Amino acid sequence: MGELFDGLVEALRLIGSGDAELREIAWRTLVVSGSATVLAMLIGVPAGYALARGSFPGRTFALASVNTGMGMPPVVIGLIVWLMLIRSGPFGGLELIYTKQAMVIAQLIIAIPLVVGFTAAAVQALPRELPELLKVLGAGRLRTLWLVAKEARLGLLAAVMAGFGAAVSEVGASLAVGGNLQGDTRVLTTAIVLETSRGQVERAIALGIVLLAMAFAVNLTLTIAQQRNRA
Amino acid sequence: MEIRLDGVRVERGARTVLDVPELVIRSGVVTAILGPNGAGKTTLLRAIAGLDRPAAGSILIGDRPVANGRVSFAFQRAVFVSGTVGQNLQLALRLRGIPSLERDRRVAATAEELGVGHLLGRDVRRLSGGEAQRVNLARALVLDDEVLLLDEPLAGLDAPSRESLLQELPATLRSRPRTTVALVTHDRDEAARLADDVVLLIDGRVHSAGSLQAVFSRPEDAESARFLGWTIVDWEGAVAGIAPGSLAVGTGEVEFSLEVEAIIPAGSRWEAVGRIGGSPARVGGDGPRPQAGPLTVSARRPDLLRLDGGVNVKNTGRTIGNR
Repeated sequence: MGELFDGLVEALRLIGSGDAELREIAWRTLVVSGSATVLAMLIGVPAGYALARGSFPGRTFALASVNTGMGMPPVVIGLIVWLMLIRSGPFGGLELIYTKQAMVIAQLIIAIPLVVGFTAAAVQALPRELPELLKVLGAGRLRTLWLVAKEARLGLLAAVMAGFGAAVSEVGASLAVGGNLQGDTRVLTTAIVLETSRGQVERAIALGIVLLAMAFAVNLTLTIAQQRNRA
Repeated sequence: MEIRLDGVRVERGARTVLDVPELVIRSGVVTAILGPNGAGKTTLLRAIAGLDRPAAGSILIGDRPVANGRVSFAFQRAVFVSGTVGQNLQLALRLRGIPSLERDRRVAATAEELGVGHLLGRDVRRLSGGEAQRVNLARALVLDDEVLLLDEPLAGLDAPSRESLLQELPATLRSRPRTTVALVTHDRDEAARLADDVVLLIDGRVHSAGSLQAVFSRPEDAESARFLGWTIVDWEGAVAGIAPGSLAVGTGEVEFSLEVEAIIPAGSRWEAVGRIGGSPARVGGDGPRPQAGPLTVSARRPDLLRLDGGVNVKNTGRTIGNR
């Protein structure tokens, strides 16, 4: 208990002192997980919409796959991406292994099923006639998608939160494909693992507090946006 | 603007749900697409709106194929985007590229006409069923398109709301003489009160089409007649229909035996409900109430109509002629 308290005090001192490495790791975490989430939204929202509204062979199978993917262990995804990107792998020529891009790819794959699943559920909860109504009113395909997305915004913001939450909190995939390289691919979760293994508990706690604060700040912003028009 | 269907077939999987070899819905009049549940009425309306693509055939509005943004469509269920009534009416016009001033003018006028002027600032989630249906109609009408399609415009309303809308709608629809209106209903009274022309659709096929007077007074086959409330009987070795309300108790020109199943009291009068042969029939009276069992009833010859061939003999589609 004393160690935890000492750790907390030291952590707060570290944060307060504006430790350069801590700031750099926090910023890198935000950029990597933020990029993965934005990409997951760009791919996952249209895919979720198509799954919710489309009728095509294999739709149920695709939905079941998405639901399975929502619970996929990140370390397994890390292993698969690592096998794809290592020099002898099918995409080895791209030389992405142990880069931030590789981490974005791995986190993207973790976040996509969550975004697709949440989007599909949000769109399915809307009246079936809504896209058809917009169509007969004269809205084009993009305008319809935009207006439907506005109607499903509560669910879509939940999708962003779930996607970002999964991306920022995973450690296995980032370790596997990023390598936790100092000044390059080290993010908050991988740094926490490293500092804990080194016995630097107060640094690990400081990193943990920053991670929690970051996740809370992002989710608070999204929740305010989500609840603003709830009425 | 006239709506013309040629060889239209709509399929769901391997099943044909609508088969209309030929149908013309006249320009500038109100046409009811009437039929029982599952007859394909909404499918026909959706095909005209371009929401369901036919497997075969063509649908022309005027001389052009169906295109989005040319017809107004009020869905059976009043669906809105979140916001106020006014914002929903504005959105409809904004999507058509109508300028702001014109939008304001049209929204105010149409909302007033449909009796929802006082609701323009209200959140659509706070509307009652009757109010929502009126706003649903207002959103279709505000566009002032040449073709207006209404899917069961009075469905799901309680009796007073339905009655008040039913009283107002004919005038509202007829105040737009250049608008071709097609409305779906399963209620023949509703069709009779709202429409000039009727397309009677049963099992995905047009059984009768023409003026209200023609379709209601001379159904073309037994199934149409049965749906329109006629009593189907065997008469002189053929199938015939007795017009609704034409049966009288006692002997007369043509006599039948009504097997009474129930007596419905109505003030000093009563109504006997039962069957002639297998066909449902009812007759009203004011004398002593009959008992369950056989009751002699009769009809005048002019009220009997021979129906050759019975079900599905007239499947070639119909053109509503000019009157």
